[in-house]
Amino acid sequence: MSEIRSIRARLKGRFLGGVAALAIGAAFPALAQDDAHYGGTMKLLGVSSEGTLDPHINYTARYWPLFIYTHDGLMAFKKVGGPESAEVVPDLAEAMPEVSNDGKTYTFKLRQGIKFSNGKDLTVDDVVASFQRIFKVSSPTSGSFYSGIVGADKCLAEAETCTLEGGVTGDAATNTITINLVAPDAEFLFKLAVPHAVIMPADTVMKDAGNQPIPGTGTYMFESYDPNASLIMVRNPHFQEWSKEAQPKGYPDRIEYTFGGTEEAAVNAILNGQADWMYEPVPSDRLAELSVSNADQLRVAPLVAWWYAPMNVNIPPFDSLQARQALNFAVDRGALVSVFGGPALAAPVCTILPPDMPGHADRCDYTADPGEFWSAPDMEKALALVEESGTKGQKVTVVADDTSTGRAVGTYLQTVLTELGYDATVQSISGDIQFTYIQNTNNNVQISVTQWYQDYPAPSNFLHVLFGCDSFTPGSDSSVNMSGICDKGLDDRMKAAMALAATDPEAALTEWGNIDYDMMKLAPAVPLFTPKDVDLISTRLGNYEFSSQFHWLVGNSWVQ
Amino acid sequence: MLAAVLSRLLRMVVVMFGISVITFLIFFATPSSDPAARIAGKNAAQETIEAVRKDFGLDRPLYVQYGLMMKRLFVTRDLTSFANRGQQIVPAVAAAAPATLSLVSGAAVLWMLGGILTGITAAAWRGRWPDKLLMGISMMAVAMPVFWVGEMVNLITQNRLHDTWAFSWVPALGYTPFSEDPGLWFRSMVFPWLTLAFLYIGLYGRMLRTGIIETYQEDFIRTARAKGLTGRKVLLKHATRSAIIPIVIMFGMDFGVLVGGAAVLTEVVFGINGVGRLTYQALKVLDLPMIMATVLYASFFVVIANAVVDLLCLLIDPRMRRA
Repeated sequence: MSEIRSIRARLKGRFLGGVAALAIGAAFPALAQDDAHYGGTMKLLGVSSEGTLDPHINYTARYWPLFIYTHDGLMAFKKVGGPESAEVVPDLAEAMPEVSNDGKTYTFKLRQGIKFSNGKDLTVDDVVASFQRIFKVSSPTSGSFYSGIVGADKCLAEAETCTLEGGVTGDAATNTITINLVAPDAEFLFKLAVPHAVIMPADTVMKDAGNQPIPGTGTYMFESYDPNASLIMVRNPHFQEWSKEAQPKGYPDRIEYTFGGTEEAAVNAILNGQADWMYEPVPSDRLAELSVSNADQLRVAPLVAWWYAPMNVNIPPFDSLQARQALNFAVDRGALVSVFGGPALAAPVCTILPPDMPGHADRCDYTADPGEFWSAPDMEKALALVEESGTKGQKVTVVADDTSTGRAVGTYLQTVLTELGYDATVQSISGDIQFTYIQNTNNNVQISVTQWYQDYPAPSNFLHVLFGCDSFTPGSDSSVNMSGICDKGLDDRMKAAMALAATDPEAALTEWGNIDYDMMKLAPAVPLFTPKDVDLISTRLGNYEFSSQFHWLVGNSWVQ
Repeated sequence: MLAAVLSRLLRMVVVMFGISVITFLIFFATPSSDPAARIAGKNAAQETIEAVRKDFGLDRPLYVQYGLMMKRLFVTRDLTSFANRGQQIVPAVAAAAPATLSLVSGAAVLWMLGGILTGITAAAWRGRWPDKLLMGISMMAVAMPVFWVGEMVNLITQNRLHDTWAFSWVPALGYTPFSEDPGLWFRSMVFPWLTLAFLYIGLYGRMLRTGIIETYQEDFIRTARAKGLTGRKVLLKHATRSAIIPIVIMFGMDFGVLVGGAAVLTEVVFGINGVGRLTYQALKVLDLPMIMATVLYASFFVVIANAVVDLLCLLIDPRMRRA
């Protein structure tokens, strides 16, 4: 299994703690599939719910793994464990689309005989209406993922009258859908495979449906949703499996997701067999104990994500390149890995693209012994750079969120900044507020601690989104380029790389690796570590599979 | 009498209006609370945020927004959450209230009985071992935070000893409505009740003991003794009746505050999705409509509980009726 390989690769033997034993949990082989496994009720736990049930709007890692079993897009990420889970396959489309017009026109043939959970047949009208709906309901990614569709600019300006004229058209006679783009987009099929582009009946309400379930074509449908109590999924009575890798028939008959309680209580419930899985990470104080007593119930998998500390390049002291580089040299990533739970749960990083992201190249300048990997901090060099920058003695506030790890990382950065000669303090803010607080330039945040997870496996998802000029809007709570960096040269190269990917994907990936390296020369952030996912599952849960895109594949597991 | 009731009602409205305005203003003064950006979602385009701002009426003057929110909360009652769009606020609070009421009422019965028993017993055996033992335990009860006691109770009943005869009857954490299964409702509430009541038994027991001992110095106690009443009668009918008034006043406040949501720690630890947890979740994600509704709900209960306590005091202490 890929998990084992990558964990070993990153167990550099430096911080082998007791939790390293966790990795063994992932070694259990997938059992042969068997009809006897279909049925039963799967019980999931979450401390809290997370917003609307509208797949076009909800943008959370909590519900995306559920939407992929209730709704389908034209394309889908393969619902299999391992590296293949990053591949896109036709879902409601019969086959991969025909691409013409220099990569600007996609023609899909719609599968026939598929019904929504309300019994209605899927038609090309539903597809056209669903694409309009993305804009009519102001989907969070309407301005980023789907803005390249012809007519999207008008839809963004005036949502109510959105038609996507010339952008998305359906032909009922031939059962085809044609999508025209303004420019070639190598990531377009990925964007069609995430829940924001799923297909719903044409008569779906053209505003946020809130907690009212919307009919879909997936193997399950939502039965009820009360954000303060539970979310229930049952089998879609009209579902017939058409592609096992795109939308397999789920194993459990019913999935009950209950909200409330604490992480501690959820761990106990799983150990008692009262629940099968919990969304929140297992509290780190229980991990050591569990890795010994219940190792066979733990699963570890790498995540395409990073923890990083963006530095505001527009205000002192980090408007100085040397100051930013100094901090990059001074931070001991190994110590931060220990803070996160040891090398079984995280690995140090030196680049913006996480190790499992296509385009990632192992290169590291900010280390004691520059080369491929980070090895140790170089305090001497760091102190010299701070001296050179003339920023020594300035006040710096690290803004972290209020989780125990967030605070610990913030406090660690404070000690490093103090060692470097700054007057450093830490401010910790409630997690939900911190993420928007650190984005708004009005709050004058100098440096913060945050995380980013991939939306789909493309390097632009990290580099262009987090450090591109388009993502920087001064004075807005939505300005995800927290460093506020806008380097014209690199920005043009990123746009060129996105265009190049349409014609020469391999060359584009190499270029992304180079952009990553050149961006890090400007040091807009300190890459800290890449985290791993730890799942605690019940003893009865079988066929655990982990997708790099949607994490644990809920419907692929059985409970009997 | 009618005038008294009316003036109380008027005072309640003024208090709640003040609270709602303060809540509203604090929300908009909080940095990075821009509801439009939160509703629009992670990394939303500026056009999207503007569309949401217009759609939700967040581009209008604050007083208009306040008026609309109050109208949707009290008149049309269709106010919806910012965080869980589509979740109607009034039904959500109404659905959470029975869980909190079950928890707090059950615990209140326990802590009033336990507190009074502890206080009277300790006062009756003042300075001897029952007094010392009870006051020692009470001190511990007051000193131990309720979330810690709750986690310890869970550790024993749900984890370490869950599979033994002693605790195998304890159901999984969570709340079952009384109407659904009274037996399960009772079994799932036993430990939450005990945990929440524990702190208050200690508190009330100590208060009552001190009150009774102080009352023993009063003239009317000496008179009662001089008339030849038995020690038990003096303690229960005269001293306790007088000393219990501060306890009743305190009970009113505590009960109101707890029903209004202050039992949040107990609720979260035991997985009971009541009003306290609702408030806590709303605060975490800066969900203004929900914060507004739960804050007003809580203030309503505090005001009501105070009014009821005033009436009760009149019943207990005849001297107050003359004033």
